[in-house]
Amino acid sequence: MIKNISSIPSDSIIQTDICIIGSGAAGTAAALSLTGRGLKITLLESGTDKLDKNTQALYAGTVVDERLHSPPDKYRHRRFGGSTAIWGGRCMPFDPIDFEKRDYIPGSGWPITFQDLASYFPKANQLLEAGQYRYDADDVFGMDKPLFKGFRSDNVLTNNMERFSCPTNVGSRYRRRLELAEDIEVILGANCTGIRLDATGAHVTHLDISSLDGIKIKVVAKEVIIATGGIEAARLLLASNDVCKTGIGNEHDLVGRFYQCHIAGNLGKLTIFGPTSNVRHGYEVSAEGIYCRRRISLTEETQRKIKAGNMVARLHFPKIVDPSHKIGVLSGLFLAKNFISYEYGKRLKDGHASLTTYLKHFKNIILDPIDTVKFLYHWLTKRTLAKRKFPSVILRNKINQFTLEIHGEQYPNPNSRISLLDEKDTLGMPKTKVDWQYMPEDIESIRRSLNVLSEEFRNSGIGTFEFDSTQLEEDLTRFGAYGGHHIGTTRMGTDPESSVVDANCKVHHVHNLYIASSAVFPTSGQANPTLTITALSLRLADHIAQKLSAPSQLNHSRI
Amino acid sequence: MKVLVLGATGHVGSRLVSYLHRKDYEVNAASRGRLSANTPGQIKLDSLDLEGLTHTLKQVDAVVNCVAGNKDSIAKGAEILVQAAIAAGLPKIIHLSTMSVYGGHQGNITETHAFDPNYGWYASAKCEAESHMEKYAAAGGQVVTFRPGCVHGPGSHLWVSRPANLLKSYRLGDLGDAGDGWSNLVHVDDVVKAIELGLSAPAQAGESVHYNLSSPDSPRWNQYLFDLAEAIGATPIKRLSRQQLLLDSKVLSPAIKIAQIACNKLKLNSKWLPEPLPPSLVRLFDQQIYLNSEKFSKKYDFAYQTYTQSLQDSLNWYQKL
Repeated sequence: MIKNISSIPSDSIIQTDICIIGSGAAGTAAALSLTGRGLKITLLESGTDKLDKNTQALYAGTVVDERLHSPPDKYRHRRFGGSTAIWGGRCMPFDPIDFEKRDYIPGSGWPITFQDLASYFPKANQLLEAGQYRYDADDVFGMDKPLFKGFRSDNVLTNNMERFSCPTNVGSRYRRRLELAEDIEVILGANCTGIRLDATGAHVTHLDISSLDGIKIKVVAKEVIIATGGIEAARLLLASNDVCKTGIGNEHDLVGRFYQCHIAGNLGKLTIFGPTSNVRHGYEVSAEGIYCRRRISLTEETQRKIKAGNMVARLHFPKIVDPSHKIGVLSGLFLAKNFISYEYGKRLKDGHASLTTYLKHFKNIILDPIDTVKFLYHWLTKRTLAKRKFPSVILRNKINQFTLEIHGEQYPNPNSRISLLDEKDTLGMPKTKVDWQYMPEDIESIRRSLNVLSEEFRNSGIGTFEFDSTQLEEDLTRFGAYGGHHIGTTRMGTDPESSVVDANCKVHHVHNLYIASSAVFPTSGQANPTLTITALSLRLADHIAQKLSAPSQLNHSRI
Repeated sequence: MKVLVLGATGHVGSRLVSYLHRKDYEVNAASRGRLSANTPGQIKLDSLDLEGLTHTLKQVDAVVNCVAGNKDSIAKGAEILVQAAIAAGLPKIIHLSTMSVYGGHQGNITETHAFDPNYGWYASAKCEAESHMEKYAAAGGQVVTFRPGCVHGPGSHLWVSRPANLLKSYRLGDLGDAGDGWSNLVHVDDVVKAIELGLSAPAQAGESVHYNLSSPDSPRWNQYLFDLAEAIGATPIKRLSRQQLLLDSKVLSPAIKIAQIACNKLKLNSKWLPEPLPPSLVRLFDQQIYLNSEKFSKKYDFAYQTYTQSLQDSLNWYQKL
């Protein structure tokens, strides 16, 4: 059932077995997994189906350095389906090494292994509509479609791949399942403004819920799952400070700290020898119709050998802002940057371009009409009008030259953090301050990995990779933190002195409070987080069902 | 036991007749028109012919109603069958109904769920047919009614070759939330076995029982369509929007249907025409109805064929076409 909080009288108390706060990828996955087990599930969502300005404004806050991080109301949507309304759809699981304790990365090591999540990834992949759970491109597309013809290396892999979700908005995609489930009650317009503990601080007694119209209700649940994303999870714990004066789970000043996104940038010059057919730089389509793309990564042994964090590189085109690429499509993108949403246009806006730059871009379009028209037609039919969207701009490879788009792991850093401001939003919740920081280790780790890439391309004899080492930090931080990945703020671990939640995502010392979010990831890995968030959430749902002695899902409710 | 099968040349009827033969039933396989050479016990009988039907029913212990066709042959046919059976001394009736009697309802549907006769002509005819069966029970007859989901397996044009043809031309594929409904597939042999169990089970006079039939591990339509597409090589499948499905079923497919009818009237070959995608099919893919079939499997300790087995069976048949 789906209803709006406006249909509930103020001061009502809702009794339920499991209350999930937030209907994004994590919350929806948990609800869909918990239905059909004889439990009552209440799913609270602040927003409604459409983005509402006043609801979205509850996300407003400040950032310490605007060049390094976008404002907190960007890359997040406070609405039914959460930020899956605007995500890019890139799916890949975390690698086994991401869960390991690596002595060269302080603070690394999850209390669970890849194996603990392995059985949940296929379902997560299916829920996000990324097709079958198969991520080895050699297996999916065969060995005869390599990224680079003739490339051999013991250190560098090119068979890792990413799959793209539609991108699926879990709100609209699974709305009817939630509506039809007799054991789920979705309440829209319901904002959690406080998690209330009993005097011992070990038990959540109830949740305070408010609407923007002033309706206030309480939810009393046996188990509570916070699924509000990496920034809000920390905000909610920190703001619920009536019993625990420093905030829930924050006895050791960890909540909000170790905030990680990813280090990303477009850099270097990769040249492949021979004909352009030696490179497959675009998307392949799998049997299920999924856009897939190979990436470049280092083997786990090599990462350990050079003591580097995890990193992937994708083939990219030249820097868009510089008109010397003479590519009409890129110039078109540059000129259209103001019409592209903030989240997707951000990396097109690099300083102030002069009139001459604009004119040069204009000239590129005029001199490259056929490719530009072809591109526009493809974009219109395969992206704008398509339900499964072509994931990104891919240009015709004319000269076998690429830059690399880097997406790398951050070293956990306690000084990179989300904290609360004195200023409050309209519901009286303190706003957030985002202080994202990176460390020299983040950059140096990528430098070591890029050096391996250079060496391996040289040794393979199929091409060369060069990058300007003096510029590396600038290249990797030009646009700041990679947007939308909010990781580490309630990290998972076995020791309460160095972590906020345990291996089951339960807040240490509070026996009925859980977090389903990338907030619990101790480290960020190379992967975009949504798939792993979803898998972790499905695992959490099983755990809670088991705790409440609920049976496995009935047939008519299975995902 | 002597059994009359009405609609014996249809998909379920023809499989049923050979199954009953193997089980040593004495079978009268009745159909209106076509008779095939090598089936014993065939008789020509119009199920709308009260007198002829009454006469035949007097000679059997039970009758299985597998009649398909238009509204008249379903609804009127059931009415006449009940009249004839009363006149013939109340032989047991096994009536093959459909999950369509539940119409547009969604969710977990058991046998006690309300009917929805306003969901199109088929649902309406099938609901009416069932109401006649209730009258038969009220008159002292014994009725077992089966409401199968989508009957697939060998010989199923509707749920195997039709979707396969549509997948090959990329007019079906990944339907997203428009294909999120449960497929409620059931193997034709499971339906046949169920009917036989219905025939052999002891029953009280005036008793009417109903069973849904559907393999409990049937996937959602999107999964079935992909599995089918992958097996017949119609990949990569395409993601289709609701608008595309509506356009196909409401504009293109009616035109194909009209051309088919015209060809048939003019006695021309219509095999070259593409497969029509009826709006009712588009509606079904979208309908989140889970046909709960536990009542039957619990009562008879019946294990439905698994989805994987049935799919393989369907494919083996399809690939020989």
